[in-house]
Amino acid sequence: MPHLDPTERQVVFKIVYFGPGMSGKTTNLLFVHRTLMDKYRGEMLVLDTEKERTLFFDFFPVSLGKVQGYSLKFHLYTIPGQIYYEASRKIILKGADGVVFVADSRLNKLKDNIRMFRLMTENLLEHGVDPDSFPMVLQYNKRDCPPVIRTGVLERELGLNGIPVTESVATTGRGVMRTLQLISKEIIRKFKIG
Amino acid sequence: MKLPGRESSEKIREHLLKLVRRSEAVTALIISREGVCVSKAGNVESLNSTALAALVAGMFAATREVANIVGEEQFSILLQQGEKRHIHISLLGQRFMMVIVFEDYRRIGRVRHEARTAGSEIAALLEGRREQEEKESKDISMPEFREYALNLIDRIFVVGEEEDAASGPD
Repeated sequence: MPHLDPTERQVVFKIVYFGPGMSGKTTNLLFVHRTLMDKYRGEMLVLDTEKERTLFFDFFPVSLGKVQGYSLKFHLYTIPGQIYYEASRKIILKGADGVVFVADSRLNKLKDNIRMFRLMTENLLEHGVDPDSFPMVLQYNKRDCPPVIRTGVLERELGLNGIPVTESVATTGRGVMRTLQLISKEIIRKFKIG
Repeated sequence: MKLPGRESSEKIREHLLKLVRRSEAVTALIISREGVCVSKAGNVESLNSTALAALVAGMFAATREVANIVGEEQFSILLQQGEKRHIHISLLGQRFMMVIVFEDYRRIGRVRHEARTAGSEIAALLEGRREQEEKESKDISMPEFREYALNLIDRIFVVGEEEDAASGPD
């Protein structure tokens, strides 16, 4: 459920970029932050380790404007992808309204993607969320790093039917805004009150 | 206490202002557990309250996990002591937190006292307006909301032509 506040007239949706370590979650957010005009974006927080890996989360708010008198906002978060940060991931995923699963397209990362997707599904179930009806986009990132996993492989391995899929190179920005557009629309389409 | 949304909002701010004045704090904020700032008072310009709210909510959630590990359900107060500034965070019911930023650590006793006093008043106001908010939120016309929101998304999250061609159809 989003943060819906009739008194302050704002509705805030939380989007979490989930995926294995070094798949490009922070790079996605950095590109979105660079691309958006100043009036739509807030300051970006990057909480990383010395090796530039996300320690807790990255975050920035986006304000799109007024809809029916309400300020429409999206808060974008990433999770730390390293396997030992399981507790942090669970905390950040809590209260999410939608997820972008940033998969690492490199062929030798297939197992990591599958493992991380399954962990995400378990986390969602623990938070009482049904992953099958939850707004989600699967982004095949790092399409510029051959040999790559063919699109369709992850969907088949994970039994995903009808999930929106994008291909991207987050370092250049290819596919990044499209992914954000798709997940935001998924969230809005599935948004219900009460 | 049940007050119309706007009125309760003003009351909450009054309580926060009084707290800031009495404890000589820099600022005081109310944030939701989802990490959204819903009210603030004091010197709010010098702090990025949006980022602060997201971080404090994450920190509090992490602390709850720590509490569970040591056999507690949750810690109701968090205190962060710095060189020049300190933060006192307390839970307000199940959905909100109060964050007080202050400078003189010798005033910690006063901060605690004011946090307790204002906290119970504000928690009652927040709880009281919950029902009202649920009713008001039902006034949103979903088809219109969706249409306008989708339109904004198309307009602001712009997909470049090259990117569009590379990513395939919608």
